[in-house]
Amino acid sequence: MIKADLLAGLFFLVLAAATFFSAWTMDRLEARRINPLTVPGLVPGLLALALFVCGLVLTIRSLRTAAPGGWTDLGQAVTTSAARRAGAVLVLTLTYALLLVGLLPFWLSTGIFVFAFILTFETWLSTPRRPLLATMPWALGLAVVTATVVTLVFERLFLVRLP
Amino acid sequence: MFDGLGLLATGITHFLTPISLFNIVWATLLGIVIGALPGLTATMGVALLVTLTYKMDADQAILCLMCIYSGAIYGGSRTAILLAIPGTPASAATTLDGHPLALQGKAGLAMGLATTSSALGTIIGIVALALIAPLLGEAALRFGTYEFFWLALFGVVISGQLTAMDDPLKGYIAGILGLMVAMIGMETLHAHQRFTFGMPALGGGIDLIPAMVGAFGFAEILAVMKRSAQARIVSSSDRVVPSLGEVFKYWKTILRSGLIGTFVGIVPGVGEDVGSWASYAAAKRASKEPHMFGRGSQEGLIAAETGNSAVVPGAMIPTLTLALPGSAAAAVLIAAMFIHGIRPGPLLMTESPETLYQIVAILLFSTLAILAFGLTLTKPLLKVLSVPRERLMAVVYVLCVVGSFAITQRLFDVYVMVAFGIIGFILREMKYPMAPLVLGIILGDLLDLNLRRGLLLTNGDPSPFFTRPISAVICGIIVVTILMSIPAVSKRVRAVFNRTQTDGPGQG
Repeated sequence: MIKADLLAGLFFLVLAAATFFSAWTMDRLEARRINPLTVPGLVPGLLALALFVCGLVLTIRSLRTAAPGGWTDLGQAVTTSAARRAGAVLVLTLTYALLLVGLLPFWLSTGIFVFAFILTFETWLSTPRRPLLATMPWALGLAVVTATVVTLVFERLFLVRLP
Repeated sequence: MFDGLGLLATGITHFLTPISLFNIVWATLLGIVIGALPGLTATMGVALLVTLTYKMDADQAILCLMCIYSGAIYGGSRTAILLAIPGTPASAATTLDGHPLALQGKAGLAMGLATTSSALGTIIGIVALALIAPLLGEAALRFGTYEFFWLALFGVVISGQLTAMDDPLKGYIAGILGLMVAMIGMETLHAHQRFTFGMPALGGGIDLIPAMVGAFGFAEILAVMKRSAQARIVSSSDRVVPSLGEVFKYWKTILRSGLIGTFVGIVPGVGEDVGSWASYAAAKRASKEPHMFGRGSQEGLIAAETGNSAVVPGAMIPTLTLALPGSAAAAVLIAAMFIHGIRPGPLLMTESPETLYQIVAILLFSTLAILAFGLTLTKPLLKVLSVPRERLMAVVYVLCVVGSFAITQRLFDVYVMVAFGIIGFILREMKYPMAPLVLGIILGDLLDLNLRRGLLLTNGDPSPFFTRPISAVICGIIVVTILMSIPAVSKRVRAVFNRTQTDGPGQG
């Protein structure tokens, strides 16, 4: 956590600097002769300064705090089975939201996602693993039901033009 | 006073229609189920349901969302007692004594006590809402641009401080990040577009609903699916309905916890979990049997459940009168109210005073529904808890996607949901609280507009921000809060107080 805080602190410093630069160079609307203290960049600039101070404190604090596990602990945290499961969720959910939705009809992409999600987590990533044949009917059934019900409810009842 | 009672009666009769009663029943039940399912929180439930209530009339939509909110806060206790994992963060303190009671074969009693104390907590909060909100609403009419600037800052600072007690710095960072997100899009003073990077979709800013669905929905899915083991349900078949003696034996605890919960609710952005922990800690300090806390103390369970439920009506006080959300779920409610043409804030009590009393009536009805469902549907709710999360989370994610898309029907909002989900997950893993982030997003515009408008009104002179009495008080509280969160300062202050206390008796 200490090393993660260090990385986060550095990230906040960079983010604060970039925001401050954008706020400083933001149009001051001089042509509209507005009061200089009401420029659009005022509050973003002040927030960037506040974030810079907090980021600096976080960075210094994590540099001064002893981190027994050091970088090894941080490295291990992203290679555990929990991280692998989170990674699998990310791959499945991002493929669905960013790729399949919009490319395929909504009902089809939803069905594929639900089927793949249940199959992945009930067989390959489950301990103990469930047999594929036992999971398949559930995954298929839930995929069909979810795809049908969600599509019908949103398209017919709420009149949403699904992607 | 009598006007208020009349409006309350009108509020109650307004919802005595078959359609309203039907909505109360299904929404409260859905709320309880959402709360009971680990990984589905009250905020997530309310955010997802905003889409489903979009086509409803304003009063019915708010009715459904409020019932889901209050049902979900109660529903979390079921999981806390039977599975030892809180269904929602609000029930974390309930786990401490609720689960040991279940292990002792008193799961029924624990569920009954949780239900009745939840109902009593909500009622204490409802009384406070009906009494305080009109007064605060009247006082808020005197608030000007300077006070609103400080109130917005106060909300973010206090939420940052109280939701990250061990490390307020992370709470402040989360709040600042939320405020920075609110800077994206067209600002309201000069209609200038900021941080849009040439993307027209960012012109209107980041919508709160997709952001909340991401931060509380998608992030939660990632967190839940990350865990590999599932908890085992511990249940028993003892009686669920508690006797009056069992409940009212701890009337002092109920009253104290209800008041603490209500107060916590009034503080902007500090949610039910803080209300629950604060009530639990106070009950432990005042108890005759503090050693029993954590080992199946009925008093501890009652304190935690009364405390978290009282936050719900308490949170509606600043939400309705100042448009400052009292909790994360209340932030979504504000967004939903705007969608339905209700403008919470100081003018609410003059423009549509009936709204406040309708919300009081909704909370009363949902409390009755919670009592009825909580004491009767023990077995069906047990079945709900055994739904495998692999199947549930897949469906919930589909709802996150379609819910984000449906409001404005653009894929950009789905991308916003995904981005906030990933950022929210990473921040949560690093122990950053989500409430200040959300509060920052919702209060960013208020803070920005009122600071610059105040400076415009005085032609650049910042002194009214510090010299107007209410402004000065709020500013003082903010400064003290920030100073006290610096370890060196708080240590010194505590040392000074301790010295005064130890010197005191000697001098006398």
